[in-house]
Formats: sequence, structure tokens, C-alpha cells
Amino acid sequence: MMWLPLLGLVIGILLGLLTDWRIPSEYANYLSIAVLAAFDTLIGGIRAHLQNIYDEHVFVSGFFFNIILATSLAFLGVHLGVDLYLAAVFAFGVRLFQNIAVIRRILLTKWLESRQKNRL
Amino acid sequence: MLTRKTTWHFTFVSLIIGFMLAIQFQTSHEPDVRDTRDIWEIRQDLKKEQELHKQLLQEIRKYEETLEKYEQQRSENKGAILRQTVEELKKEAGLTEVVGEGVVLYVEQMYDESYVGPVSDTVSAELLRRLMNELNMYGAQYVSIADQRIVNTTVIRDINGVTKVDSYPLRSFPFEIKVIAADAEKMYNRLKASTIADDFALENLLLTISEPQQRVVIPPYDGTVRVKQMEAVEDARR
Repeated sequence: MMWLPLLGLVIGILLGLLTDWRIPSEYANYLSIAVLAAFDTLIGGIRAHLQNIYDEHVFVSGFFFNIILATSLAFLGVHLGVDLYLAAVFAFGVRLFQNIAVIRRILLTKWLESRQKNRL
Repeated sequence: MLTRKTTWHFTFVSLIIGFMLAIQFQTSHEPDVRDTRDIWEIRQDLKKEQELHKQLLQEIRKYEETLEKYEQQRSENKGAILRQTVEELKKEAGLTEVVGEGVVLYVEQMYDESYVGPVSDTVSAELLRRLMNELNMYGAQYVSIADQRIVNTTVIRDINGVTKVDSYPLRSFPFEIKVIAADAEKMYNRLKASTIADDFALENLLLTISEPQQRVVIPPYDGTVRVKQMEAVEDARR
């Protein structure tokens, strides 16, 4: 069952490449921040799942809410003349690193445990 | 482990992420073509482009000339149309002679041989206005009374006991009333059927209606049309 999300990612990329859609370059910023937000949510969801505190409502609502919040922040920034999207980039970037670090440690611990079990 | 529902959520989210990624990738990675031409090739290309430029300029000049020609033609046409409109308006206002199919009415005095008493030497304005209304009702297009063209501003009134059409007094009998109508036959029949002749008879006048005639000539209005109450419409585009 683990391969299904990966398959989804691949199908999504193929779909995007095949449809040959292009957004105007002035909106590329918004899309990049939306991608970042989506990634953050996905990684956060994986971490929560590994820590057994996963909640599907939080995950799905967080996915859409984060995307909308991030893009509207970028939009506001454009209109205020302040690069507010940097705030979103910073926040998501930091969270992304932290979450990945947590995932790495959990996986590492699990791996070490399983190796010890095998030795015994 | 992962429940079925959770897996689908993750799949859905990753699908969207993949889609967005692909679009972002396509948007930001426009293939940039490197320029690998050497100076001679560039010069040749430049020459080609300059020739194209020249050609385009020539075409532009050609089209501009055509455009100018069209503009000229159009302004000439405009003049012609304006003249035509003026003619039409003049015709409508009664400033031109009109020839057409119609009927002629004769008005003459009618007294018995044995009649003794005052003799009226004019026709009352009231009666004439009534006749005009009847004629208009029956589809008269152009009317003249004693060769005085009736236009929109014509007045028929009694001045010191003499009926005047505009400023022309109706004193001599008989006089003619010429009428042009689209359908002279119909006009004739309707006049025959109306009681207007009886009304004339009451004033001791005999109204004779001619058979429909092929050619009735109605003279133009000879006065000047004075425009007092009309104003030119402001150009709305300004």
C-alpha cells in the first residue's frame, strides 16, 4: 500500500506534463509557494503517521488551508510591496527540514531496533 | 499500518502535488535556445531581416495609400448623400414642384338665378380647414389651393372677412384645389362618398371633383420657411 502515494505523484507529474499547461509567469510565484505548502503538509502527514498522531481531518484540511493561506500571503505581499511570500517560504522551509529530520530519526530508530532484534 | 482511507488521502495529495510540480516545472523551464551563429551568419540574417523590413514598409505604404483613397471616396460619397438628403428634405418641406397622379377640385359660386341678397365672395376658413382635414384623412400627399402650396406651416385664416391661405387672399372664383395622392382612384371615390360637397353647398359654393388625373402639377411653396423653435442637435460624440 505504500506505493500508491508514489504512484499518485508520478501520475500527477505525467498529467501535468502531458496536458502542457502553462501559467503566466507572474503567477509562477504563487504556484511555487503552493507547491511548497503542499509538500509541507505531505511531509507533516507522514511524520504524524509515523508518530501515531495522524488525523485525516487535520491532514486534508491542513493541505488546502495551507495552500490558500500561503498564496494569499504572497498575494498580499505583492500588493503591499513587501515580499511576504518569503515569510511563507521561511516557515514552510523550516518546518519541512524539521519534519524530515524527525522522520529520519524515527526511521533510523526503527531500523536500529530491527537490526538489534535480528542479532538477538 | 496505513489504513485504506489514509492511503487514498496521501495518494490524492501527492497527485495534486505532482500536477502542480509539473506545471511549475513547465512554466519555469522554458527551453532556452542558445545562439550558436557566428558573425557572418548573423550578418546574413541581419540582411535578410532588413530586406523584410523594407518589404513591410512598402506594404504599409501601399495600404496607407489605399486607405487614403477609400477615405477620399467616402468623404465624396458623404457629400453626395448629404445633397440627396437635402433634396429629400426639401421635397418633404414642400420647396419643390411635385408632379403626380391625383385629383383636382373646383370651387365656384352657386346661386340661383332668382337669388336676391348678400353674396359672399370668399369661402370660409372653417370650411377650407375641414376640407384639408378630409383630404389628409383620405391620403393626400401634396395639396395646393389656388396654386398656393400647402406646407406644414401654412395657415388658413380669416383676415377682415377675407379668407387667406398664408398671405394669398381667396377672392376670385372659381379656384382649383389640386391634390396628389398615392392612390388617386381611391381618393376620388372617397371624396365622392364624403359629405364635404354638401358642406360647400351650404355656403352656396359648388365643389366639383374631377376624375383621377395622371398628371397633376403642384407648384413649390414660394414663401420662406422660418424656423423659430427648432435648434440643431448637439453632436453627442463630443
